[in-house]
Amino acid sequence: MTGALKYEWMRIRTIASSYWMAGMAIFFTSAITFLLAVTVDGNDIDDLGLREVTTFIVLAGASIPVIPVMAAPFFAVIGAMSVGHEYRYGTNKATLTANPDRVALLTAKLLVLLLWVVATVVAMLLLNFAITWLFVSDPEFGGHMVRPLLNYIGYCCAFATAGFGLAALLRNQTGAIVGVLVYPLVAEPVLYGIMAAVGDATSEGFGRLSNFLPAAAGRRSMFDPYEIFDGFGTIDTWGVGASVLTFWIGVLITLAAGVTSFLKRDA
Amino acid sequence: MALIQARGLSKSFGSKSAVRGLSFDVVPGSVTGFLGPNGAGKSTTMRLMLGLDNGEGLTTYDGVPFRELKHPLRQVGSVLDAKPFHPTRKAVNHLRMLACSNDIPNSRVNDVINLVGLGDVANAKPKTFSLGMGQRLGLATALLGDPGTLILDEPANGLDPQGVHWLRNMLKSLASQGRSIFVSSHLLSEMALMADALVVVGRGTMIASGKMSDFISTSNRNAVVIRVDNAELMTRELRARGGAVVTEPDGKLAITGIDSDRVGGLAHELGVRVFELSNREATLEEAFLDATGASEEFRASMGFGGQPQFGGPMATQQGYAQPGQQSGPPQQGYGGQPGQYGGGQPGQYGGPPQQGYGGQPGQYGGPPQQGYGGQPGQYGGPPPGGYGPPPEGQPSTGRPSTDRERSDGAQA
Repeated sequence: MTGALKYEWMRIRTIASSYWMAGMAIFFTSAITFLLAVTVDGNDIDDLGLREVTTFIVLAGASIPVIPVMAAPFFAVIGAMSVGHEYRYGTNKATLTANPDRVALLTAKLLVLLLWVVATVVAMLLLNFAITWLFVSDPEFGGHMVRPLLNYIGYCCAFATAGFGLAALLRNQTGAIVGVLVYPLVAEPVLYGIMAAVGDATSEGFGRLSNFLPAAAGRRSMFDPYEIFDGFGTIDTWGVGASVLTFWIGVLITLAAGVTSFLKRDA
Repeated sequence: MALIQARGLSKSFGSKSAVRGLSFDVVPGSVTGFLGPNGAGKSTTMRLMLGLDNGEGLTTYDGVPFRELKHPLRQVGSVLDAKPFHPTRKAVNHLRMLACSNDIPNSRVNDVINLVGLGDVANAKPKTFSLGMGQRLGLATALLGDPGTLILDEPANGLDPQGVHWLRNMLKSLASQGRSIFVSSHLLSEMALMADALVVVGRGTMIASGKMSDFISTSNRNAVVIRVDNAELMTRELRARGGAVVTEPDGKLAITGIDSDRVGGLAHELGVRVFELSNREATLEEAFLDATGASEEFRASMGFGGQPQFGGPMATQQGYAQPGQQSGPPQQGYGGQPGQYGGGQPGQYGGPPQQGYGGQPGQYGGPPQQGYGGQPGQYGGPPPGGYGPPPEGQPSTGRPSTDRERSDGAQA
């Protein structure tokens, strides 16, 4: 396990794309935060008070439904590359002859990946805090930000994990990147819209199915306040705990499928 | 230094069996060549040996399976792909990455990168590397842990002549230090110079395993060659004594089944004047083609010039084709009927020449049952002084035909 950890730590540090992806995640997210900080500057947004506006700016808009999590796709790509590079460049055999214990290797890859993502997100959030502190008049930092912030970090880790799992499952980097981006950003919003619209119009039970959509559930978990978006019409949306659970179950299913495939199939 | 013991290696892809029950040893202090036609299962076998593929059987290195080795790179070095590295990771970082996983010091990285001649480009990105440079980096990877065992799949691919020479000497040197070297290659001439022992496979099954000299000695192309003034008498008497005799295009007799001493003695008894008497030893290539002719997975489907360029698998009773004309049977020939060239015997690709070679009965190389050039009995190869008759209706040119002519022949 130690050898695999050393290997993976060296691997992720010696490839330019690791830095490019992390750098772009930080740059674009902090650019949004800067833009929001200088324009909103503590003014109320609709029903949001100063507390929620502060969260909104620090999270680069991710605490409300309209603005997606800018950083997540970059972490998804890093996750997909963590395994996908092995297949794309044929390094998987060299990797496995150096680290034959596949369980240890995958565990090391995932741990190092998550460490890289968490470190990047924390750095990004610290930068966003600094920008908010510098450019927003009397920002309200406080305990109300903990849940959105933690779920923001979790959301980024989940995208990286899903990319990792998909790449292990598909053994194809491009396919994994497409899948990990298209499903939450395109396919699921379409499904959500259909379920919600049909549920609102004809069958409330059908509408409740939208609670099982993991990406939407994960997205909700960082809303501040959580109730800012309570689904369409009469559909009841699950609470934050159930949403977080739903989100991570979806991610872990993807990871489990990828790990199982990696362990069983030929190199 | 490790003794490699492979036992019962088997692997199937769906209903297709790629490797079936291979068992062999690779002993320390030797270079063991791993030979087989394309698709014979060489690479699959090597992956099985390294625990990369799931299959049946077990390979141990001094009794320990690969996946249980604590620091595998320090015990088994391998090269399975030509360019197994990320194109933008510096060569030296690629090696450091592998080294750190097996507690190999960075100083060793510098040693091997210089050893393989890549010291000047150690900090370059491999995307600029040629195939040969990629092979060298792969070899550096294999040598990284100074292992007692090397498993190399086509390591000479892409190397220039100097590189091939360097590789050969290095592998022989490593073997002389007591290491076990297991190497596959299609460069049979190189293998002949390098290997001490061979494992030969075809269609996933073992064809031969053992010393190279033993393998070559089994070739049907080993023969006693004699040139005498009365070939007819000599042939008759040799056959009466159980020898197999083939008359070569230049009139020499190629004899198998009787050693040169007896042949010389017989000539003396018969009062036949002998102008030449020698032993002809098969090359590794000839022995390999003999052994694997019927086990090729993929075959060329065409010959050249409407003439037989492929003399069959050489697993013949008597005759054999000449170098350059024996490299495997086409499945369909020009100017004849599909499946009719090459001797026409099922399972005898290309037709084992039994008597004639030059299209003349009694001569060398095997009379096909059906004509290759369009007429039965005219297939078996270029007769002395020229090529076999063309398909009916075509003029004989006495040379290999052009593509157009071949095309015509194919339509005939």
